[in-house]
Amino acid sequence: MAVGIVLVSHSPQLAAGLQLLAGQMAGPDVHIEPAGGGPDGGLGTSEALVREAMAQADQGEGVLLLCDLGSSILTVREILGGNGNGHFRLVDAPFVEGAVAAAVVASSGASLEEVARAAEEARDARKL
Amino acid sequence: MLANSEATMTLPEGVALHARPAALFVRTAMRFRSKIIVAANGREADAKSILSVLGLGATAGTTLLVRADGEDAAAALDALAASLAGVVE
Repeated sequence: MAVGIVLVSHSPQLAAGLQLLAGQMAGPDVHIEPAGGGPDGGLGTSEALVREAMAQADQGEGVLLLCDLGSSILTVREILGGNGNGHFRLVDAPFVEGAVAAAVVASSGASLEEVARAAEEARDARKL
Repeated sequence: MLANSEATMTLPEGVALHARPAALFVRTAMRFRSKIIVAANGREADAKSILSVLGLGATAGTTLLVRADGEDAAAALDALAASLAGVVE
């Protein structure tokens, strides 16, 4: 079982596209769930969608949550009552690079702590 | 016993070290305890870090120098070479 990952974005397409990209790199063992868009399916965030994605991503080893911007972070913090509780954890990381790094590390069976660190370290990775 | 091994690996035709092949390479490296460094194009990357490996920008035909340091170094290099050979895009 691997740590699960939830991708919270204002855009359903952005979350779904990143799910596809990170999923292709991590393989089938990592549950990556998108929580994109508002309650009406447009741009925004939905607490219900995030909660549903958290439940689906949870395989018992913990779940890492990544957010794109602003209110997506507020929504997750409201659900978690902060940045996390040891089983669900919000991480301060670049959305795309953090998700890819976290997903690949999660595929090795790493702990939530290690997966979170991989996402955080993505901040320092150079593209060029 | 600590072993130190290195090997060169040339990326097969049609295989660049990006996206899926890079992920496969990194996921293979993570199975070993050895510290593994991969060098290409004058840069070095931690073979267990996907973003670091992607940053090499290694395209098909590039020769990688892979250096492993640890008790399972030799096995790690064998597995990494096999992971590259087995990738078909």
